[in-house]
Amino acid sequence: MIVVELVKMLRRPRTWVTIGMLNALPTLVAVLLALTDLGPRPGTGPAFLSAVLTDGTLFPLAALAIVLPFLLPIAVAVFSGDAIAGEAAAGTLRYMVIRPVGRTTLLVAKLVSVIAFVLLAVLVVAATAYVMGTLLLGDQTGATTSVSGTSLSATQISGRTALSIGYVVLSMLGVAAIALFLSTVTDSSLGAALGALGVLVASSLLFTLDAAAALQPYLPTRYWLSFVDLFRDPILWRDVVRGVVLQGVYVAVFLGASWANFTTKDITS
Amino acid sequence: MTPQRRWFLVGVGVLLLIAIPVAVRSLPATESDVTAADLLAKVQASGSVRYSGYAEAVGGLQLPVTDRFSDLATLLGERTRLRVWWRSPESWRVDAIGLTGETDLIRDLGGLATWEYEAARVTFTADAPVRLPRTADLVPAVLGRQLLGEAESDEVARLPAERVAGRDVPGLRLTPRDPQTTIDHVDAWVDPQTGLVLRVEVYGAGTSPVMSTSFRSLSTEAPALSEGTFTPPPGAEVRVEEAVDIAAAADQFAPVRPPGTLVGLDRRPSEGVGAVGDYGRGVTRLVAIPLWDDAADPLRDQLETTPGARVGRRGTVVTVGPLGLMLTPNRFETPNWLLAGTVSRQTLARAAAELEGAARVLQ
Repeated sequence: MIVVELVKMLRRPRTWVTIGMLNALPTLVAVLLALTDLGPRPGTGPAFLSAVLTDGTLFPLAALAIVLPFLLPIAVAVFSGDAIAGEAAAGTLRYMVIRPVGRTTLLVAKLVSVIAFVLLAVLVVAATAYVMGTLLLGDQTGATTSVSGTSLSATQISGRTALSIGYVVLSMLGVAAIALFLSTVTDSSLGAALGALGVLVASSLLFTLDAAAALQPYLPTRYWLSFVDLFRDPILWRDVVRGVVLQGVYVAVFLGASWANFTTKDITS
Repeated sequence: MTPQRRWFLVGVGVLLLIAIPVAVRSLPATESDVTAADLLAKVQASGSVRYSGYAEAVGGLQLPVTDRFSDLATLLGERTRLRVWWRSPESWRVDAIGLTGETDLIRDLGGLATWEYEAARVTFTADAPVRLPRTADLVPAVLGRQLLGEAESDEVARLPAERVAGRDVPGLRLTPRDPQTTIDHVDAWVDPQTGLVLRVEVYGAGTSPVMSTSFRSLSTEAPALSEGTFTPPPGAEVRVEEAVDIAAAADQFAPVRPPGTLVGLDRRPSEGVGAVGDYGRGVTRLVAIPLWDDAADPLRDQLETTPGARVGRRGTVVTVGPLGLMLTPNRFETPNWLLAGTVSRQTLARAAAELEGAARVLQ
């Protein structure tokens, strides 16, 4: 079942169109930076965007920071929202659950497919950005400068970039879990995706309000950009660890709710 | 498994996830029998304690100032996240952590280096004894020592212990007896072993603190801080500046000398050149900074458009919480004085009047 779902995901044109669209914006940014040599003013642009002007190898991190606030969560919400609701809307869900496969197994297969999509999307964005960054913005010889002004070796940068990719994937799994749960509630994949995006928009808004300070540590978007802390020297683990735990809680709660809802749901379409 | 049982399991799981952290956090801190006077003495003797940690400061004062004072407005009006490694007053590093970068102050044998990641810039200056407040002043242990360092034992009382940075620490309330101050009280929680202040809350007239800063994690091990001077990374712009900020520049170069006493407050001893006057004790502070016209005129325009500003013969006065700002008028051959401190409007106006007659212009 898992293999079937994975193959289906990889063969769908929409998977590759979505990933292509995710890559379009960072690529455009890389071209514009290469042509103009103008970085953002301090504190105004995405993370690492000023640093890539002198070191193109950091562009995968800048690309992740570019797609992380909006494009990547939209893609993940649409993909996850479609997982169960899409089958229901197409009228194929009832045939899937009468096969000798349990609903829990089907849910796990859908979940693995969603995780694989998130991982694939993030890896392709990072890889494309690395190629574009080194080609268009140059490859700094020697050590790379950390956010704290010290030097990081190529090995350290590679290790921390791998950790960042893992962290971004985990951050997106929280979105995926919310959308997957909504996908088990409604037969409309658009409704499920918009519901998940509504949660994220509310979270982003509350993050900017001082009056919501007590809620902020629990908002799903609160620690998304904390992967920047992996490039401080020494690494500031505080928010990274909190981000991992928080996303783990969101994933556990919403997958639990998805399981409780889907395994007892009346399948009518 | 029935649907009810499935939802019950999920509900119990969610409840546990919420309840466990709340229960752990609501455990009462262990009370200490240390007296207020002993705790104060510990704070005042904590200057040589080494530590490192992470702190967060929240300022509630919206200062109506121009770009040349913008760091000060950020410091007193926003949330600041800090990483600190403190070896001694002459050897420390404080990083102000931003979402997409950081601005670090590194004090070492070579003076003060400022590293700004997003600008890829290092600025070297001598660390001036007279200067504007900076991020390092928001470190709870530093701010706590500044505020409590000159307090006397009859001004402090004990507060119940609280858990700060994972430690159960007794509290201390300073209620200043100086009638000129606009600070109502300062609450501080102090590690009784080291005397380090772990949390500070400063109160004006209201019930909410106008400034608070607290360690979220702390280690009293010797900090991992490299010896020697900060080395600029490859490709960084390197600047060397004569003065760390506008107050330090005024102190060094302005051709005036303020009086030894102002509105009854004694001038504090300083290792600076002497154009800036720093008066008062503890939480009652008043500074008089002579400003050049190019800095004073835009600031005056800004202050005059601030709601609640009063423009009088002695100058323009604005109060923001317990903080008062006054800028004297632009007059021929007399300096523009910026008076700022934790004193009332009336005290500022009296200070401006006294300065007019008592400040000495060097020829």
